[in-house]
Amino acid sequence: MSNSAIDVPSRGGFSFDLCRRNDMLAKKGVNLPSFRKTGTTIVGLIFQDGVILGADTRATEGPIVCDKNCEKIHYMAPNIYCCGAGTAADTEAVTDMVSSQLQLHRYHTGRESRVVTALTLLKKHLFNYQGYVQAALVLGGVDCTGPHLHTIYPHGSTDTLPFATMGSGSLAAMAMFESKYKEGLTKDEGIQLVVDAICSGIFNDLGSGSNVDVCVITKGHKEYLRNHLLPNPRTFVNAKGYSFPKKTEVLLTKITPLRERVEVVEGGDAMEE
Amino acid sequence: MAAQNKISHQVGEFQNDVFRFDIHGVKSDIVGSHPLETLCQSAKQREEEMKRRILVNTYGTAFPMKMDFDRQILSRFQRPTGAIPSSMLGLEAVTGSLEDFGFEHYLNDPRESESFRPADLHHGMEVRIGLSKGPAHPSFI
Repeated sequence: MSNSAIDVPSRGGFSFDLCRRNDMLAKKGVNLPSFRKTGTTIVGLIFQDGVILGADTRATEGPIVCDKNCEKIHYMAPNIYCCGAGTAADTEAVTDMVSSQLQLHRYHTGRESRVVTALTLLKKHLFNYQGYVQAALVLGGVDCTGPHLHTIYPHGSTDTLPFATMGSGSLAAMAMFESKYKEGLTKDEGIQLVVDAICSGIFNDLGSGSNVDVCVITKGHKEYLRNHLLPNPRTFVNAKGYSFPKKTEVLLTKITPLRERVEVVEGGDAMEE
Repeated sequence: MAAQNKISHQVGEFQNDVFRFDIHGVKSDIVGSHPLETLCQSAKQREEEMKRRILVNTYGTAFPMKMDFDRQILSRFQRPTGAIPSSMLGLEAVTGSLEDFGFEHYLNDPRESESFRPADLHHGMEVRIGLSKGPAHPSFI
């Protein structure tokens, strides 16, 4: 039976090669670099016709802001969008992968994707990786069964709620929702409440900031309002513009060509019989 | 006696030969380097085992056994070692993984790794038809 073991070409995926090395280095007393803190405010709510998602646009990397206008509302399917908090690379990789899976599924079935399908795919993936894929998500969409809003935690647990917040600014945003949310909001009221919640995160949470992105999904229609509100414009821009008199200095002009290691022979020897 | 002198045919990748694939650390192979690593490996196995048990309960033991035979036949249908990896289309169609799409399909492809050594077609064919066991690992020469 030993020969019947299935040997198929190996695949990619997570590589654990460096864990052993890092372990050894840590035992020898090397201080490994620590994790960088991230921060976000993402929210979502259900209004009378569908779902509204909102996000701030600051990408935090420990003590620095590495992007002032990033996108945190990711496309999943034409009728489903997903806000991501946590490690930016993880949220993007997971949402992109699941959106590809949904596209494949749509090609296969020829029907509109359902929000629960996306939810199951996401939670299954996150649970398989036991929280090492650090993505906290707010998933919203409208399908044949109506509007749905879910939150997904990095370890794979999920919640189904009429209004949801995630990220470091979730507490500030939830305060706004809990005081003002009611059932059957109109679209304008809903957008206003989402903007209020995100602004509360922007102004009260250090990890969140810059602009407000909003995405309104209704039956058969979606509206992605990128930079819906710009509460933090640049305060001072020099009217005369900036000039840099000193150009980039040329340090070296000598070019050393690489040694040719392979000799290409046209024709070559005939193959032996 | 003749059976003992024969080298068995091998198809696909072979992992358990020290002389061809270098010595591994024994402890790290048993323990694993990261808790997630063992989990990733066992999760797929567990899922397959569960599916199999469901099939046994619904259709009887013969059905999943037949599927296993199909799977084994299709898994041995591979390209000769060399430039192009086997696509395993038949196997993927049978297992249903043709419709899957995950990290392993586009991230960290072993063929794009910096330590990848392309297998030699000549040696690969010798191993396949059972003429030899293939070349020794470079670190032994």
